Amino acid sequence: MPRPKIAAIVTEHRPNSHGQHLVDRFLWGYSWQGRHHHPPMDLVSIYVDQFGEGDLAVDRAKRFPTMKIYPTIVDALTLGTGKLAVDGVVVIGEHGRYPRNEKGQMLWPRYEFFMQVVEVFQKSGRSVPVFNDKHLSWNWDWAVEMVDISKEMNFPLMAGSSLPVNRRMPPVEISRDAEVEEIIGIAPGGVDGYDIHCLEAMQCMVERRKGGETGVVALQALRNDAVFEAMAKGSWAAGGWDPELFEACLCRSQTLEPAREGFNHILPRPEQIPGMLSEDAIAYRYEYADGTRATMLLMEGLIHDFTFAARLKGEKEPLSLLLFIDGKNPRNFFSPQLNAFEQMVLSGKAPFPIERTLLTTGLTAAGVESLWLGQKRIETPHLVIRYQPTKESTFWRS
Amino acid sequence: MNLTRRDFLKATSAAALAGPFLELGGEVGAAETIEPKRVAIVATIWTYLSHAQHMGDRLLVGYPFEGKWHRPNLKVVSLYVDQKPEGDQSDDRAKEFGFKVYPSITEAIRCGGDELAVDAVVIIGEHGNYPRNEKGQKLYPRYEFFREVVDVFEKSGRSVPVFNDKHLSYSWRKAKEMVETSKRLKFPFLAGSSLPVTWRLHPLELPLECEIEEALMIGVGSSDAMDYHALEAMQCMIERRKGGETGVKAVQMIEGDAVWKAGAEGRWSHPLLEAALSRCDTLYGESQHPLDLANNGDLPKLVEKPSAYFIEFRDGLRATLLMLNGAIGDYPFAARVKGMDEVQSMQFFLPQTPNVNYSACLMHKVVEMIESGKAPYPVERTQLASAVLDRCLDSKVNGHRRLETPELDIRYRAPRESQFCNT
Repeated sequence: MPRPKIAAIVTEHRPNSHGQHLVDRFLWGYSWQGRHHHPPMDLVSIYVDQFGEGDLAVDRAKRFPTMKIYPTIVDALTLGTGKLAVDGVVVIGEHGRYPRNEKGQMLWPRYEFFMQVVEVFQKSGRSVPVFNDKHLSWNWDWAVEMVDISKEMNFPLMAGSSLPVNRRMPPVEISRDAEVEEIIGIAPGGVDGYDIHCLEAMQCMVERRKGGETGVVALQALRNDAVFEAMAKGSWAAGGWDPELFEACLCRSQTLEPAREGFNHILPRPEQIPGMLSEDAIAYRYEYADGTRATMLLMEGLIHDFTFAARLKGEKEPLSLLLFIDGKNPRNFFSPQLNAFEQMVLSGKAPFPIERTLLTTGLTAAGVESLWLGQKRIETPHLVIRYQPTKESTFWRS
Repeated sequence: MNLTRRDFLKATSAAALAGPFLELGGEVGAAETIEPKRVAIVATIWTYLSHAQHMGDRLLVGYPFEGKWHRPNLKVVSLYVDQKPEGDQSDDRAKEFGFKVYPSITEAIRCGGDELAVDAVVIIGEHGNYPRNEKGQKLYPRYEFFREVVDVFEKSGRSVPVFNDKHLSYSWRKAKEMVETSKRLKFPFLAGSSLPVTWRLHPLELPLECEIEEALMIGVGSSDAMDYHALEAMQCMIERRKGGETGVKAVQMIEGDAVWKAGAEGRWSHPLLEAALSRCDTLYGESQHPLDLANNGDLPKLVEKPSAYFIEFRDGLRATLLMLNGAIGDYPFAARVKGMDEVQSMQFFLPQTPNVNYSACLMHKVVEMIESGKAPYPVERTQLASAVLDRCLDSKVNGHRRLETPELDIRYRAPRESQFCNT
């Protein structure tokens, strides 16, 4: 069997962009399971939406003549043959200069890229696996359409954050027979950028609970004072969250900002937290159809990593962990994501359900919407998305 | 049973809430019956991010453990600091946490009285202004601190658990005496690096009694601070081999291009290097893309001054530490194990500054020892790592010659249970 050919569709390929990290892994290989691994497939084409200052795509095409830059997405997929000529497509619509809408959402052209890809599929009468980096689209209806098309045309679609497939400390999963009462995820960063990462980290954990995923029925986003007021409530029922889960997350962080000068690692008291933040505090409080309750918190300045905690029914202690992202070159956290893509191309099966990212895409959009509507609680009947997790764990553990 | 103060407070709070004395609340501490263990800290210096600060503070303010902020049932009652440089925090800490800084070690562990007056001693002889010898060893007074502590033990006719941060001493002789003294006086003695107990990426532990054919460790940083960490990290992996630890027959340290030449001649294993490098999360150099550093020819260009520490064990095992400054920023390990197809490899994970969570992993082991009266792993591990380093540095200053080491006849068994942070 000939080596599969891959096309990459990226917004940009500049230093430290998602495009750079994923594309370069095809070209140079990457560390994987104790050796330097070269994907058993060839990246033969790349479409770059924005070149601009610092572009590395031209340099890469020179160094690796097997990869050609094409002026359009159609050309990158057809390689000038007039029909689909690749066996897998990577769509990376992250980084680059794109406008924001009035709600503050960055209008990444992921849907537009995807539609051009599937048009080639349609015209060629053949579909191949597609990976879409991060959430499917800023626009909920478009995200639904993307998933529907992948089902209609019967091609595996993988999407989302790299957090679900990365290393964990400790390396745990929620047991398939565990009933989950409440979950918390804490992340740095801001709305429409890091919320999706945190939601994906939380979702990849909670989807394994007893019965599988049932979807989300309502969400309310809070900002700043409303977040701090919620923090003081002491329980979900009172309008806040379980403080033990919050503490568990802080205890799993390895980048907890010291609350006092002269101390390198000290647990902040709740009243110290507002003064430690360097951006707006954000909370998305949401309720699952089966009664599980969730709080996603963005607290830039308090921590710089992604942690999760869950209250399991019948368990005295919460389950908690760090979803670890290494921070230095060569950004190894991209490796398990690319490896999952390779497995998808080789097996023809998505490594984990696309419904996970459909749900987190919808939660992100709902969070933005709730903030836009003045932190209003919104019913989310469209997010009653049911799915079952993979049987096996899919995070990086070897 | 390890009942922490926190568990106790929780239990008594619940009892108070259930009873008729709710209005008296807030005084639950008064009902506490489990006396906290009294701890003395003996340190070189206590400044921000010194070992004494980030380890000592964990006994004062607690630390994260298994997803909780753990406040051990200990009370730091006294402190000795050998030097008070600019930025000293010892007096501030003493004032805030209600203990006293004493002018001598003896007074500190007697708390100003005539007898030993603490339940444990934590010696942190790292950082501070001390001379170096011709071998490049920084002459931290750990042995001298230890001697003064055990003098009080002997005079008091009683001993308590002792923790010694990092290697026991720059001198194998002094390290040996320290271990022998702890055995003679029968007190639990824990020592060493945080690397053996920190998180691992991934959480590899070699099976007890496996047959290790060859081992390779990579480290970075200066001698004799960081090569020591790397040696002890490697030791905690290979001590699990069949027959347990039997000691070291000979050592040699080489530097510069000789390291690459030795690799080409097969004195250290290229496949193990490849596996170890693949576990690194930090690659230096110009490139922003991933690199096959083991095979792309860049390594000799990137590494400023490579060094290799060859260790020949008495049971035939050969192990190598490579210090590769300039190429990577991690501490990976690789070994070939009989019966396993793949090379076994992983990274000892050092969480970032300022939290340096590895010291929480280590201090939890210290707390375990103080609470249980048993060292969770053998001090001989640290003795061997200390001695191997000392003798490797002898080789360094003696023309990089191979040195026979009959004095490194240090035998011990690894703990059955894994001791590293994985929960």
